[in-house]
Amino acid sequence: MSAVKFVDHGYADPDPAISAGSGPFRHYELDAAFHDELFHEDGTPRARARRLGAALSRIPPEDLERLQDGVYRRFVHEGITFTVLGVEDVSEQIIPIDCVPRLITAEEWDHIERGLKQRLTALNLFLRDVYHDGKSLRDGIVPIDLVLGCPQYRLEMRGLKVPHDVYVAVCGTDIVRAGDTFAVLEDNLRVPSGVSYMLACRTAMKWAFPYLYRAYGVREVADYPERLYSTIASLSRTAETPRMAVLTPGRYNSAYYEHAFLAGEMGVDLVEGRDLVVHDATLYARTAAGLRRIDVLYRRIDDDFLDPVAFRDDSVLGAAGLFHAYRAGNLVLANAPGTGVADDKALYAYVPRIIRYFLDEEPILANVETHLCREPDGLAYTLDNLKELVVKEVGGSGGYGMLVGPHATKAERKAFAEQLRKDPANYISQPVLPLSRAGCFVDGRLEPRHVDLRPFVLQGSETQHVVPGGLCRVALRKGSLVVNSSQGGGCKDLWILRE
Amino acid sequence: MLARMAANFYWLGRYAERTENTARLLEYQLTRLVDADADELALGWRVVYRALSQPPPQAPADVDEAEAFLIADAYTLTGGLVEDTTNPASMISCWGMARENAREIRPRLPLRVWVCLNQGYLWLQETEFADAWGEGPAALVSEVIDRLRLLAGVVDANMARDDAWRFLELGRYVERLQQQIVLLDVWDRIARPGGDGLALAWADLLRVCGAFEPYRRDRSLTLQRGSVLGFLMRNPEVSRSLHFATGRIESTLRGIDPAGGRPPLAAPHRLALRISAALELDPGEADAASDAPDAASGEVFGSLTRDSRTLHDLVQATYVDYPVTAGLPS
Repeated sequence: MSAVKFVDHGYADPDPAISAGSGPFRHYELDAAFHDELFHEDGTPRARARRLGAALSRIPPEDLERLQDGVYRRFVHEGITFTVLGVEDVSEQIIPIDCVPRLITAEEWDHIERGLKQRLTALNLFLRDVYHDGKSLRDGIVPIDLVLGCPQYRLEMRGLKVPHDVYVAVCGTDIVRAGDTFAVLEDNLRVPSGVSYMLACRTAMKWAFPYLYRAYGVREVADYPERLYSTIASLSRTAETPRMAVLTPGRYNSAYYEHAFLAGEMGVDLVEGRDLVVHDATLYARTAAGLRRIDVLYRRIDDDFLDPVAFRDDSVLGAAGLFHAYRAGNLVLANAPGTGVADDKALYAYVPRIIRYFLDEEPILANVETHLCREPDGLAYTLDNLKELVVKEVGGSGGYGMLVGPHATKAERKAFAEQLRKDPANYISQPVLPLSRAGCFVDGRLEPRHVDLRPFVLQGSETQHVVPGGLCRVALRKGSLVVNSSQGGGCKDLWILRE
Repeated sequence: MLARMAANFYWLGRYAERTENTARLLEYQLTRLVDADADELALGWRVVYRALSQPPPQAPADVDEAEAFLIADAYTLTGGLVEDTTNPASMISCWGMARENAREIRPRLPLRVWVCLNQGYLWLQETEFADAWGEGPAALVSEVIDRLRLLAGVVDANMARDDAWRFLELGRYVERLQQQIVLLDVWDRIARPGGDGLALAWADLLRVCGAFEPYRRDRSLTLQRGSVLGFLMRNPEVSRSLHFATGRIESTLRGIDPAGGRPPLAAPHRLALRISAALELDPGEADAASDAPDAASGEVFGSLTRDSRTLHDLVQATYVDYPVTAGLPS
């Protein structure tokens, strides 16, 4: 670890005055097309950013370099990695971390928090309805064929009682800021990941900017593992303390670090399919002292791989009979199987209607304008405006299987148009979003980069909690709008201010 | 704890110990580069390679093993045991395997232990062997030993004395037992101290085992074959004696056993006690006057080797790969 001298650079004092384009921010170029989270359009700092900007301007550049290096080395030594499966080998990569925190005010967060709670409540009601009465489908709120034709729809869940009707216990919602408003880009209702990086970023930033952190009054996220544990445990059917485990596909999974981290922090076993045995509709883990029952499984593998008897028969990641144990009521799964039907990118367009239908409320958080290629008008619009749109597969993730029109070549657009015509129901399109930009320290300079945000919501039997923070992803390549870690993205700490 | 994780802790212990064993032997041999003559060095390499169950260096067909080591150069012989990632027994491979096992048990491994292990691995990976050799052939392996001792200290200070720690200790001492048996056997048969021909000193064997000073205090400087071997086999206080390793194995197995050592004993525990008894009852000390290896001593080491391997198999079969039907709660 680099030797870093912790000096209080006068963090409590918001002076001196700073501005974009001068002093330490001389490389900070504003662009009117994008909302900048540090500076107003005229280059003066936003109120929330004055203290941060002043602190950054007081830290000598070589100290900032050392802090950035120290934060990076911390990630290296602690092995905070994601796994990349190459053609010939498997490699662990460090997720790049930027040492400048992103700031969100208490007022902004209150809006986001209320919106997220509303959204998850509605989606859980929708999932219950989809797998039971189907009233919302019969009432035409969501097309029946969209739901029944979704690959993530699980017939096996029809009529099955889910404990406390909590289908989604852990949700990660991707939010973008365009202008002064926040909008939901995507719901992740199956196995949302990234929360470990949020916690790792926070630990690293407390180390790097202890005085600034204290001066700002940042809301704490460190209790996430306890909250996750109590949330999932609350879904248990047993009266005693449930035996919980985290189910991982194994160390070759890209999110393995997170699975291991969460299991460790919660003090529960990290199991793989090969550790599990189902006997008499009960799930057991092989321990060194014999088989031990498991009551609750926080599973971090997709539905398809949970159980080769119930789902994909070639899966070696789950356990044969696991779904049988679930059906028999001897096991709780978080999240429940079949939740993917509600985070399909085509269904996303209907979430505002779902909120109105189930809650009789207007959505607090807006959706991004979305065109469904399954509808003739949507397909025609998409084909006519391919050059300006982002086209995504409805079941895709990680930035794969998508076309970014403005950055694609004519040949790429032509090839993609062919795919669209062949299978229009598999695609949606959205405008290229003017993602907001936050200050970053890149190659020794303070410059703006595009960011998004994934907050996490926990839904227990009786409680709902929005973590006051989230995974803030940043497109570290200049001008890039792609924040995925697999495609040049990194992360930074998100500070939700108390006041 | 999960059976798979028990196995990972066990193998983490084994690989860390294996790395240290290689480093200790190399440190001994590399420090001799300064003053030993070519024949003595070749014999030393032969002992090191045999003790690590490594094949001799490639040589023309008409060249025997002893001569093959005479022809080979120290840089290549060392590199094969240090930085060769294609050799599963090299230090970098063993440390890498220790780390891979640690990755699987991260939820149960204190962060400080992981960081120490990972930092050591990253350091070894980033070290240019050629540069390190230039700074002194033994410097690199000495640092490996220091880092492994740091790891042992971090483990000692941060891990609860639970089953995770017991399986780690079990792996460490099963590995040590197996390696020490081979080393004593090889030294006795190949180095032939006390004979007429080329030999390595009994004092050197004691030094490799970190037992020279305790031996000197206990038995003065009477460095006879039977006395040295007996000391390294039966002394209960020297950490690299077979008795010491067996004692640790027995006590960890007693802790792992849910019955706490009450009959009926688990199969590995029974075997560990039998190995202990065999060591205590072996009349090796009576042969102290004999300077030459004999068939009986070869049989003792052969029997110990078989038992130590069976012990490993029994640990696997009892705690990891047991039949599902045997593990169901009653």
